[in-house]
Amino acid sequence: MQPSVPLNPHRDSALPSNAPIDTGSAGPAISIRQLSKTYPVPFARLKALLRRKTKAPVEALRDVSFDVFRGEIFGLIGRNGAGKTTLTKIVATLVQPTVGTVAVNGFDSVRDDEKVRMQVGLSGAEERSFYWRLTSEQNLIFFARLYGLGDRLAKQRIATLFAQLELEEVRRKRFGELSTGNKQRLAVARALLPNPPVLLLDEPTRSLDPLAASRMRELIKTLARQDPPVTILFTSHNLAEVETLCSRVAIISAGEIRAIDSPTNLRSINSDAEVVRLTITGLSLERVEAILNPHFDQLQVVAGETVTHISFTRRSGDDRLDEAIRKIHEGGGTIQRAESERPTLLDVLESYEAQK
Amino acid sequence: MNSLKLLPRRIYAFVVRDFRLFVSYRMQFFLRVVSILGVVTTLFFISKIFVGFTDARFSQWRDPLAAWLTGLAVLNYFMTGFSSLANAIRQEQMQGTLESVLLTPINLPTVIVASSAWDFVQATLFSFLYLFFGWFFFNVHYAGSFMLALVFLILTTLVLACLGILSASFAMVFKRGDPFGIFLGTGSALFSGVFFPTQLLTEYAGPRLSSVSKVLPSTYGLDGIRRVLLEGRGFAEVTEPFVTLIIMLGALLPFSLWVFGRAVRRAKREGSLIQY
Repeated sequence: MQPSVPLNPHRDSALPSNAPIDTGSAGPAISIRQLSKTYPVPFARLKALLRRKTKAPVEALRDVSFDVFRGEIFGLIGRNGAGKTTLTKIVATLVQPTVGTVAVNGFDSVRDDEKVRMQVGLSGAEERSFYWRLTSEQNLIFFARLYGLGDRLAKQRIATLFAQLELEEVRRKRFGELSTGNKQRLAVARALLPNPPVLLLDEPTRSLDPLAASRMRELIKTLARQDPPVTILFTSHNLAEVETLCSRVAIISAGEIRAIDSPTNLRSINSDAEVVRLTITGLSLERVEAILNPHFDQLQVVAGETVTHISFTRRSGDDRLDEAIRKIHEGGGTIQRAESERPTLLDVLESYEAQK
Repeated sequence: MNSLKLLPRRIYAFVVRDFRLFVSYRMQFFLRVVSILGVVTTLFFISKIFVGFTDARFSQWRDPLAAWLTGLAVLNYFMTGFSSLANAIRQEQMQGTLESVLLTPINLPTVIVASSAWDFVQATLFSFLYLFFGWFFFNVHYAGSFMLALVFLILTTLVLACLGILSASFAMVFKRGDPFGIFLGTGSALFSGVFFPTQLLTEYAGPRLSSVSKVLPSTYGLDGIRRVLLEGRGFAEVTEPFVTLIIMLGALLPFSLWVFGRAVRRAKREGSLIQY
C-alpha cells in the first residue's frame, strides 16, 4: 500500500452526477438526528389474529444524534449487537430508520437515497458480497459500471487502487481463490472505486496481517488528510486501532450512544486516575516503605535483584507524583524508570456496559 | 448523468457479468444445447405418428412438430418473462451480493430489470435453437411475418413480466413459496396450448377447467404467434389475441408496480431486503 499518493485528487470529475455538496470544511459530512430503529415483527397483526406467538420487535437504535465532520475519522465502538451495523446500514441507505433522519453531505438517506449512495463507500466484512467465479478485476469493473464509470476510467481507477492496496498480483485471480486478507482489501478497493467523500469502514483490518493492517491504517489516515478529505466512519473491535486513528469515538450500547468524545477525553471523563510505576535504585524495600508508606495509601512495593519497583494510583493534577519523586531523592534513591498507565477505551467501554 | 442515461451502461454491466459467470460453466451451456437438440429430435419422431393428420378444427396443428417447436420456443421465452425478475432478486440474495449491488447508486427496479437481462439473452438464444434445429435438421417451415410474431412475443413477455414483478414482490416479502411461479409454471404448459390444442381441454375436461386457459396471457401470445408463423395470417386476423394482451398489460402494469413499491418499502422497513 502506498498511502502517500492521494487516492482521489480529481474526485468530482470522475463521477457521473450528483457531485458532492461542499458543506464547508467545518460542516458535518454525516448528520444524524434523533435516529431510532425498531425492526418490526413481520406480519405481526396476522400472527396476533391467528393467536400465534410472536417475538417482540427489536429496538436496534434509540434516539441517536451526532455529526461527523468533513475529514474526520470517527470511531464507533460497542459490543456485538449494540447497533453499529444497523447505524452503518442506515447511513448507507440499506435500512430505513423508524424515526429520525440521516443526512450525508446534505442529502437525506431516505428521500435522496441514490444521491447518498454516490457519496458513500462501504467496506464490510462480508465475504459473500463479491462474485466468487469472477476475477478481482472483473468484480471491480462490474461495480464501477454500476457507479456509472466508463470502462477506460474504471480500468485506470482500478489499476491505481490495486497498486495502492497491493492487489496487482491477484488481479486475474478469481475472488474465490483469494486469501481472506486480500478479500478484505478488495472490499476496501471497491468502497474507494467511486472516490466517495464519505467512507464507512467496518473492521477494515480484521483479517489482515500486522504489516498489512499497519499500512491500511496509514492509508485511512492519508484519505482523511488529503484534499479534499474523505470523512470516515470507522467501526472496529480493535480498540487500540480506534484510539490510534479516530479523532472522536462514540460508544454505543444497546442501541444508545452513551458517550462521544476524543479517546483521551473519554478515558479521563470515565476516570482521571492513573497508575504510576517507578523503578528505583539505591533504596531497599524496607527503606522505600518507610519513606513513602506514611504518605501513600495502596502503595505496592516489590523488591527486584538490584532495584525496587513501586506503584501507586494518582489523579491527574494531584501532587502525589511530585511528592514521591522528592521523597525518593531525599532518601538517596535514584529513579531509573517511570511509567504511567491510564484507563484504556476497553475500560471505558466496560464501565458503560456495567452501567446498563 | 441521470439514472435513465446510465441505464444502458448498467444493463450492459449485468449482462457482461452474467455472461462471464455463464461461460465459467461451459459444460452447462454445451449440455443445454445438446438437450434442445435431443428434445427436437424426439418430437420429430413423435410427430411422425400424426402424418396425414387433417382435422380442420386444428389448423395450427397440421404439422405437429412445427406447433410443438413454436410452443416450446415461446414457452421458454414466456417462462423467462415471469420468472427471471423474481429469480434475479432471489439469486442476488442467496449469493449475498444484493447488498453490495444496492450500495451503488442504482435503484431496486433497475437491479431487477438489469439482472434479468442476461436471462432474456439466453432465452432468445435457446428459443431460436428450437426453431433453428427444426428448420435445419427436420425441414420445418415457418411462414408469415416474423416482425408481427416478434410484436406478439414482446407484448406477451411484457404481460408476463408484470406477473414477474408481482412474483418478485412476493419473493421480497415472503422469500419463498411464490404462488405466481407455481400457477404460471404448471399452468402455462398445461393450459396454454404448448403441446396440444386448447380446444381439447373443453372437449375432455369441460368448460370450467378449460376457462383457465382463457386467463393465461401465454394462451393468447402463443395463439397469435402460431397464427402468424404457422398459418401466415396478417395483423387484421390476429386482433383478438392482440387486443386481449393489450388490455391485460394495461391492467397488470400499474397494479404490479404499485405492489412492488409497497414490497420494497416493507423490506427496507423490516431490514429484510438481503435475507432469503
